[in-house]
Amino acid sequence: MRKTATKITTSRIDSGQVLASVEDRSAGGSVLFVGTIRTKSDGKRVKGLTYEVYREMAEKRMKEIEGEVRRKWPVVRMAMVHRYGDLKVGEVSVAVAVSCEHRAEAFEACRFAIDTIKGTLPMWKKEKFGGGGEKWVRGTPLET
Amino acid sequence: MMVKVLYFAAAKDIAKARDERVSLRDGATLEDLASEVARLHPQLSSMKRSVRFSVNLEIASPSAKLSEGDEVGVLPPVAGG
Repeated sequence: MRKTATKITTSRIDSGQVLASVEDRSAGGSVLFVGTIRTKSDGKRVKGLTYEVYREMAEKRMKEIEGEVRRKWPVVRMAMVHRYGDLKVGEVSVAVAVSCEHRAEAFEACRFAIDTIKGTLPMWKKEKFGGGGEKWVRGTPLET
Repeated sequence: MMVKVLYFAAAKDIAKARDERVSLRDGATLEDLASEVARLHPQLSSMKRSVRFSVNLEIASPSAKLSEGDEVGVLPPVAGG
């Protein structure tokens, strides 16, 4: 089994490798979520996205998310990788993999992890449009 | 005392700065800092309702007391994923 530490990176994400990193002989089910840059947003053609991150805080938050997930579900292994910087359409921005003894908890744990990443990680993205122009994507205010 | 303020995303564009040092009276709270930031960058008031602040990597409430050297993040609504 190759090791994928949960991380924030500017490098290309290999989703197959993220999935392989949660393989374990005691796990009967693994779930992988892969987020990619799509070609359209509100009907406008997107050329790419720029992600910005508060890196130290996001790394700390990811560790906390893993802790929350492990408290709620009997996770065998999990990995979360989020990319930042300039990404093109079709590239992977985030990958989350979870392995558990049974599939139901693997699906639930993976869903919770990606939803919590989206709603609480200090990251922002700016859409760059094909016809020129760019704008920050409207986000979720953090809970205090 | 001095604290370090970091601006992100739309807040960074408006403040035209990634970070700056801000001087506050001793015993000041996050709310006092928010007022000072609003004075330095009046255009940030458009984001006032949705922006949140972190102190040393933790989301903090307006009543949080600040100390010399604290790192405060000015965080617009987040959009990772």
